[in-house]
Amino acid sequence: MMRLLPFDHAIRNLGRSPRRLALLVGGSALVSLLVLGAVAFSRGLETSLGASGLATNALVLAAGSEESVERSEIAPGVTDALATGVDGIAVLAGQPLVSPEIHAALPVSLSGEAVGSEGEAPEAPPVLVRGFEPAAFAVHPQVRLASGRWPRPGADEVAAGPEALARVGGAAAGAREGATLLIAGQPFTVVGTLHAPGTAMHGEFWMRLDRLAQLTQRTTRSCVVVALGDAEFDDVDALVATRLDLESVAMTESDYYARLAEFFAPIRALVLATAILVSCGAALGGLNAMYAAFASRVREVGTLQALGFGRTAIAVSLAIESLVACSAGALLASLIAVLFLDGAAVRFSMGSFALSVDATAIAAGLLSGIVLGVVGAIAPIIRCLSLPIPIALRA
Amino acid sequence: MSEAFIRCEKLTKVYRKGDQEIVPIRDLDLEIARGAFVSLMGPSGSGKTTLLNLLAGIDSPTRGALHIGSNDLARLSRGALAAWRSREVGIVFQSYNLVPVLTAFENVELPLLLQPLSRAERARRAMEALDTVGLGDRASHFPSQLSGGQEQRVAIARAIVARPPLLLADEPTGDLDRESADLVLALLASLHRDRGTTIVMVTHDPEAAARADTLLHLDKGRLAARESRGAEAAR
Ligand SMILES: Nc1ncnc2c1ncn2[C@@H]1O[C@H](COP(=O)(O)OP(=O)(O)O)[C@@H](O)[C@H]1O
Ligand SMILES: [Mg+2]
Repeated sequence: MMRLLPFDHAIRNLGRSPRRLALLVGGSALVSLLVLGAVAFSRGLETSLGASGLATNALVLAAGSEESVERSEIAPGVTDALATGVDGIAVLAGQPLVSPEIHAALPVSLSGEAVGSEGEAPEAPPVLVRGFEPAAFAVHPQVRLASGRWPRPGADEVAAGPEALARVGGAAAGAREGATLLIAGQPFTVVGTLHAPGTAMHGEFWMRLDRLAQLTQRTTRSCVVVALGDAEFDDVDALVATRLDLESVAMTESDYYARLAEFFAPIRALVLATAILVSCGAALGGLNAMYAAFASRVREVGTLQALGFGRTAIAVSLAIESLVACSAGALLASLIAVLFLDGAAVRFSMGSFALSVDATAIAAGLLSGIVLGVVGAIAPIIRCLSLPIPIALRA
Repeated sequence: MSEAFIRCEKLTKVYRKGDQEIVPIRDLDLEIARGAFVSLMGPSGSGKTTLLNLLAGIDSPTRGALHIGSNDLARLSRGALAAWRSREVGIVFQSYNLVPVLTAFENVELPLLLQPLSRAERARRAMEALDTVGLGDRASHFPSQLSGGQEQRVAIARAIVARPPLLLADEPTGDLDRESADLVLALLASLHRDRGTTIVMVTHDPEAAARADTLLHLDKGRLAARESRGAEAAR
């Protein structure tokens, strides 16, 4: 039976050079944090898109615009055609739950800020503005009003998602209920705050459909969302397929968001690749520290071999050392991620979502630390143990 | 008494550096009796350390035979040599080579980790070895808290804790002051006397050599002279 060196010898060896230990733990923490962050990004995006769409909703939009609601234009008549043409649609207070909506990406800024010293409006970021009718509350049960009230028809009023407000500067800058926003150059008052955490709607402005149609000078709708109720999705699909005059297609809302997630796949891959690339740098730093730590112990390793310890036993002890340091770094990274990364908003051109530090993300972070600890130790260990004992003893 | 414990026949070690050949041990014939206390002398570079490494099984002969006890070292695998060392050989280095993160006690206990012993038995034997070298009261000291002489005595305790029949020492007093050196030499002499341990010690120090019962002089990898003193003379 192979006799190993005591576990605590490896632990004590870690304390020999606090600077190297810090480099090793820091390097592995950075690697873990980057990988964890990339997975949290991916998971957050997925969760957000997944929570935004319901399988019990059918989304009807213009044929040829299946991948983008914002680019879709359908006739106002589609709404009634669906309400009357599909049997079994969910009904609330006698009204079929059919929600016509306009989705538009519009520049939004705080009104005071818009008038710069030179008198010209600074470039305002586009934010998703949704035009809605009352049926929207019923077809999007994830959305509720946290405070204030819903905008009234025709009024220059919006309800704002917290993340949308943050995009135009946040409460500190005055973006809060009661504030006036410039949307596509026109002033609107924030009369209510939306609450739809973990979904795309958390980052949107909502105004009444008629007002948004007027603002964007369009008579068309972007889409109609149908709460299926007792109807089947196939009923909706069959209707739009036969009514060629509607020039529409149907898909389940969850399918739409799943496709959107696919659309983001290259971005997710890019984020992951970047994280891995940057973490390679951090890994090299950590490995260098490990290399130095082992190299300084060549003679000691020679002595242990002279005493009769096998190379495997010594290799295991060195690997444990590296593994413990890297795992400590990975745990540190997990802690940092849970405390500071989880829920942090990621904003991109049109929307936003929250990083999701879930079990998968943490597992990925920990795993990368462990892999670094084991794989990174291999080369230094081989270097350390490949020397003939007499030469090691001379070192 | 005259039974050869260590037997070298035409023992040769060749190192190659590029196209250059270094032969630190050349066609060495040597027999050392069980229980002998051998002092190995010779100028620097004469092959003393190389010979000791060969005897310890941490270096392998290029040619020739090397038998220690019933073992033909040239035929043992690396793993078998390591196991053999852990049972049969204690090694003392000039520069002590204690593990700095371990206490004196833990350093001495180290070789016992290779034996099938209980924790309590290991502790008992390690303390006994520390007591033998007169450092029982320093068990919990780290090497950095000990003097050079004390470190070397801990190293000797580590070398003898598994009670090996063969003790190899490479200039064990080379880094020590006279007083510490004498303590270490007295210790080796008493191990030889009381336990019958076979000792091969490389030394430059005439006083150290005087403790031995056999003096070997190496020169350019060959045996230049051999002096034997009666066992009585060694005492
Ligand atoms: N691993 C090695 N590779 C090459 N040459 C070596 C090696 N070990 C020892 N030598 C050479 O062998 C000769 C004898 O060395 P050594 O046995 O250490 O001598 P001593 O201990 O008597 O001073 C020296 O010339 C030394 O440089
Ligand atoms: Mg030497």
